[in-house]
Amino acid sequence: MDFTWTEEESAFRKELRAFLDTLVPADYDAFALDEDEWAANSKRFCGMLAERGYLTPSWPAEYGGRGASAFEQVIVAEEMVLHGEPRALQYMSVNYIGPTIMMAGTAEQKEYHLGRISRGDVLWCQGFSEPDSGSDLASLRTRAVRDGDEFVINGEKIWTSGAEVADFCFLLARTDPDAPKHRGLSLFLVPMDAPGLEVRKVAGVVGEGAFHYLVFTDVRVPASTLLGKRNEGWSLVRRALVFERVGVAKYARGNRYLDRFMAWARAHGRDADAVIRRQFAEAAAAQEMARILAMKVADERVKGRPDSPVAYVYRAASVRAERLAMELGIELLGLDSVEENSLADRQMRWGMTAGVAGGTAEMQLNTIAQQVLGLPRAS
Amino acid sequence: MDLDLNDTEMSIVDSLRVLLQRNAGPARAKQLAITAEPDLALADALAASGFLDLFGDRLAGPSAAGLVTEEVCRSAGALPIGARTLVVPSVAAGVELPPLVAVAESGTAAPVRFAADAGALLLIGEDEAVMLVRGDWTAEPVASKCGYPVARVRATAAGRSLGAGSADVARRWWQASLAAEIAGTAQAAVDLTAKYLKEREQFGRPLSAFQALQHRLAECAVQVEGVRWLAREAIGLGVPAALAAGAAVAAAGAARLITQETHQLTGAMGFTLEYDLHVWSLRLQTLRTEGGGIGRHAEALVSARWQ
Repeated sequence: MDFTWTEEESAFRKELRAFLDTLVPADYDAFALDEDEWAANSKRFCGMLAERGYLTPSWPAEYGGRGASAFEQVIVAEEMVLHGEPRALQYMSVNYIGPTIMMAGTAEQKEYHLGRISRGDVLWCQGFSEPDSGSDLASLRTRAVRDGDEFVINGEKIWTSGAEVADFCFLLARTDPDAPKHRGLSLFLVPMDAPGLEVRKVAGVVGEGAFHYLVFTDVRVPASTLLGKRNEGWSLVRRALVFERVGVAKYARGNRYLDRFMAWARAHGRDADAVIRRQFAEAAAAQEMARILAMKVADERVKGRPDSPVAYVYRAASVRAERLAMELGIELLGLDSVEENSLADRQMRWGMTAGVAGGTAEMQLNTIAQQVLGLPRAS
Repeated sequence: MDLDLNDTEMSIVDSLRVLLQRNAGPARAKQLAITAEPDLALADALAASGFLDLFGDRLAGPSAAGLVTEEVCRSAGALPIGARTLVVPSVAAGVELPPLVAVAESGTAAPVRFAADAGALLLIGEDEAVMLVRGDWTAEPVASKCGYPVARVRATAAGRSLGAGSADVARRWWQASLAAEIAGTAQAAVDLTAKYLKEREQFGRPLSAFQALQHRLAECAVQVEGVRWLAREAIGLGVPAALAAGAAVAAAGAARLITQETHQLTGAMGFTLEYDLHVWSLRLQTLRTEGGGIGRHAEALVSARWQ
């Protein structure tokens, strides 16, 4: 076992950090801004990151990357989060939408989309969840019906982040209603300006415009927007999400907040409080646990083991880490935590959504029970 | 970074498992527990095969010593394994050690694992650690159901100082060693509980089919995996203060959770001496409190990271 970064990796981190220090204001936090603002910033920042090769380093050279390893991707994820995630939701396009297009796209789709993503010109949103299909995603009912050279899409999507500012939607829809539920789904690359596609904001407690409701009414898209083979969308999504699992370095964000909480504690004379110090330690240890498990995920990816269950273990550890950081913030700031956009308020939003966003904690635990512990499917 | 075991580590673990299958296991641990004895035969077998002295080995080193620690705990070996493989060697390089060594805070009034049987005792003070050899301390055995022979110690000689700053080094290795011991011990408790859930039927189906129970054990599995890798990383990087203390904080928390949950999931059967769960679950109660427990580890972590 070797737990050290290579010289190249350390140099890459140093160089990326130095650039981000100059690019992004010290207290930047994309997700504390309103949607239009972070979206505009994201395109500006991503353009500059792309120019220097920092946006898609893990992509193959033919698509504008340099084939950087999963560990370098971890470094990118950590450094971005430590600088307030200047890419905002762009990380989704880079981490898994682009790679899925590389894996399953036609030459035309690759030509059209990959350049746009790798230059940071476009934002994507993800059209998966529906009002009646959450954890049971494969039960989704949005229909895409072939009509000549087009597909006609009808249905609803919900909890979509960034839909108002996105240029494209990575949409999962049902193309065969008679097949078993996992076998009748297909992926589409849908332009958000398609007529009949309506976007409504869902008011929520975790941030203005954090998510949306999408209504598709006879939305016609060219058949060329179908990604991969018809009715094989589910297996494609599952493979795509393997790319996602390094994802956002939430433990790095947690650590950033812990440092800010400690600065607050010092400024308010609370840093010697034994109870608070214990909470700091437990939250810090939880971030470290999530971090080392993220390294394990990256290591499995480097070694070509996409089916390793450690990604689910990492996700579960990450949820706990975010919640412990949230609890610390609330306990430490006390009533000051209720002020909107106070430090604790921001971490509270991460902590509250941690076990739901990107797949519920329960789904992770189901998989761990089966794949790590060898237990049967629950009945 | 490469988180697979290298060839040396792999072959050490493979041959160690064969040895442990023959010489350790819960049945033997239960037998020895009746008379509160350490497993001298196992210690001799491990020593004869070189498994106790990998820390300073040029090819193997501390990472391999950490793996031995995990494995021996997983097999319920009744030995002060981490003290012997990691903690004492970290401050006593080149010293020939007896098969059994004990580690304690100097001046402690609390029970110390294996203190009555150890051939050497490492006492960790404020700044210096000192090594006592048999005869330099008295040990008064304390009755305990928590899985290890324990005794209160009183030093009767000053012992040999291991130098200024040795206490800090020993303490950091102690934290990482406890995390490795907890990882191995907790893994066995979780594995046994998974087996129990699959075998035990109620309401006409195995307990393992109940999602409420699956999730509780899955949370335990997450903690085991996390603690294992935190311990391995801290050891692999030479116990940087924040990583060693972080591993110990996480491990003590995991030990608390896993003792509670594995017993809850095993029901009344888990409380019997006949069933094996207690062999590991009660040891976790000892391990989570050693070295000052989570409070002390927590303070070490906060001091290392923020001061």
